[in-house]
Amino acid sequence: MEHNPFKWGRPDDAVYGAYNHQIAEAGVNSLFPKMNTQNPIITGTSVIGIKYKDGVILAADNMGSYGSLMRFSNVERLLTIGENTVVGVSGDISDAQQLARYLDSLELQENVYDNDGENQLKAVNVHEYLTKLLYHRRSQMNPLWNALIVGGFDEAGEPFMKSVDLLGVSFSSSTLATGFGAHLAVPLLRQVIPEDKKYVDVTEEQARKVIEDCMRVLFYRDARSMDKYSMVTIKKGQELKFEKDLVVKDQNWRFAQNIRGYGNAQQ
Amino acid sequence: MSRTTVASEYSAEIQSTPIEHRFNPYSDNGGTVLGIAGKDFAVLAGDTRHVTGYNINSRYEPRVFDVGDNIVMTANGFAADGKALIDRFKNQIKWYKFNNGGKKLEMQSAARYIQQLLYGKRFFPYYVSTLIAGLDEEGRGAVYSYDPVGSYEREQCRAGGAAASLIMPFLDNQVNFKNQFIPGTDGKEKRPFEYLSLQEVIELVKDAFNSAAERHIHVGDGLEILIVTKDGVRTEYSPLKRD
Amino acid sequence: MFLTRSEYDRGVLTFSPEGRIFQVEYSLEAIKLGSTAIGIATLEGVILGVEKRVTSSLLEHTSIEKIVEIESHIGCAMSGLTADARSMIDHARVEAVTHSLHYDEQILVETLTQSVCDLALRFGEGAQGEKRLMSRPFGVALLIAGYDKDKGPQLYHAEPSGTFYRYDAKAIGSGSEGAQAELQNEYHKLLTLKEAELLALKVLKQVMEEKLDCKNAQLASVTKDGGFVVYSDEKTDEIIKELTKQQAESEDSVAEAVALEAQH
Repeated sequence: MEHNPFKWGRPDDAVYGAYNHQIAEAGVNSLFPKMNTQNPIITGTSVIGIKYKDGVILAADNMGSYGSLMRFSNVERLLTIGENTVVGVSGDISDAQQLARYLDSLELQENVYDNDGENQLKAVNVHEYLTKLLYHRRSQMNPLWNALIVGGFDEAGEPFMKSVDLLGVSFSSSTLATGFGAHLAVPLLRQVIPEDKKYVDVTEEQARKVIEDCMRVLFYRDARSMDKYSMVTIKKGQELKFEKDLVVKDQNWRFAQNIRGYGNAQQ
Repeated sequence: MSRTTVASEYSAEIQSTPIEHRFNPYSDNGGTVLGIAGKDFAVLAGDTRHVTGYNINSRYEPRVFDVGDNIVMTANGFAADGKALIDRFKNQIKWYKFNNGGKKLEMQSAARYIQQLLYGKRFFPYYVSTLIAGLDEEGRGAVYSYDPVGSYEREQCRAGGAAASLIMPFLDNQVNFKNQFIPGTDGKEKRPFEYLSLQEVIELVKDAFNSAAERHIHVGDGLEILIVTKDGVRTEYSPLKRD
Repeated sequence: MFLTRSEYDRGVLTFSPEGRIFQVEYSLEAIKLGSTAIGIATLEGVILGVEKRVTSSLLEHTSIEKIVEIESHIGCAMSGLTADARSMIDHARVEAVTHSLHYDEQILVETLTQSVCDLALRFGEGAQGEKRLMSRPFGVALLIAGYDKDKGPQLYHAEPSGTFYRYDAKAIGSGSEGAQAELQNEYHKLLTLKEAELLALKVLKQVMEEKLDCKNAQLASVTKDGGFVVYSDEKTDEIIKELTKQQAESEDSVAEAVALEAQH
């Protein structure tokens, strides 16, 4: 028996020949050619967000898909940085975790040099940092395969929400969604905020309701979504509210009854 | 070319050449921009729609920027490159001031420097059409336009971006009076060039953008016009079609 | 000057307890050994004048180059270890040409002077970790004359210590003390370019050991329209003649005045 646990489950040298360790060290100190990410592996689907008069709400489900396989069902894709900034990440989960590490060290650095705790990183600064990071990586032809939404407050303390993707393309709007959500959720969100500036007329209750509606619609129509999700409410003058393990409410699958392959319909 | 067809005409076609599949570092974020130089003013206008493919990402994402020193700038096309270019240029204005005792960067110097920035990435270009507008050293309106790798030229007017091909001929006719002749000369005497007033130019810009928004799906939502005079830069906003 | 040698006077990177870097101070002494160079800024333009030490009748005087062009609108005169000026001039020319490539305009005279001075302290490492370029400070000082749209005609004095100052009129080199005093007396803001040419030669004449001629003195000017020009020997000769004539006349008038005085 092989007693070294690190060799368990690996191809047998006797059968396949010795493993060329240069493959694992590619690009670092080996001549073996290095390959960058060509496509995402484990992915998270849409992140959606809306501004309202006192802040921002973001939501993302907990699924991590491996192609069409529902591989992980407990992935947290909303990252908090500082006291009132949240980054919602869709796309490759390993890259999202790398981003989380970057953000952690950024926050750590800020805290180390910030003696009085006055200088909290604002969402605008976090967004600019991420934009530069993602653009830099795309320029190296080695992208972080994600689309992000950053929510929080700007320098003036007003609600702020802006997105950035793997190319470094960034844009802001009172209603944002990545991936499938850009098609399915944005129209619903824009029904609540037809004009970009009019987010000031939207209450927290309205914003929350439309986000819940969007998560339900996404669960209905996005095959790579699930009904368990997290939601963050960032509100002026209040501590950030992070709700985990929310379940899509008011599901109604009656429409599926007569659709073959969906419900019980035979034939 | 003979091709092995398995099962049926339509499924599982095995081609002899592999499809290259690699990361594409570029995208097109739509939008269109337009600059016109007047006698003692210049305008740079852009719509505020931001798109990828058929998605409207934002209905208000500013595209034309006041970069300081009475110069306005836009880099339209791939938005991430546009942002990078403008950020780098703004940064360089600061350095220019540090190195030259706070001297104002003149238009022609700004124009040349942007060429250096663009050509510096000749083999991985910024995928943008760049325009700057301002006043020259004599106080006359100036517009400079660029191709993605830094060829540049001073012009009276220039349209860039998604609807450039729709707007440019209109501008040729309405700003430089191309194909216009003096009535009664039997098409023999050209209408001589004369400067338009600021009011006329603004109306022209609005007409151009309304027409572009009508025909081009990547143009619309809002129009932001930055106006440069000796008194500084001011902005006018007006709505465009949102469909 | 420094009677007691100490362990601090050899290292270029170490302050003495009194806060001096001796090698930099010694480099200023090297300049005082050099031939005299003069700069005079007027409203019309700047005049540079240098003494050339023709140490042998067999020496070809045109091979002594103490005034050089940096760009079409900037020139410079030097005194001290003139070989050291090579790298400074080279650097200055690169900066000037690069600036006009990047910005489609002529570099400001002050910016150019600053960039030359940035080089002066590179006997240590650069601020961004650049390599140490030389083992000792420069042994040469420059008078940089130029014209730009922002500040008009300008004259700068750049020292091996890396500092520079703008002057109306400045003399460097072996005769600098006497020359500077003379400039102090004679300079006024309304000097014409013509008067500055004569003044430069007059001052050189006073501090030079040899008799002034077009072989051991050289003039150059920077003006708005003409840019930087080194004067030909013929032109220098003419100015010397005019100076001699003027001085003779004033001596005559002085003699007359003395004679008149005596009559009374």
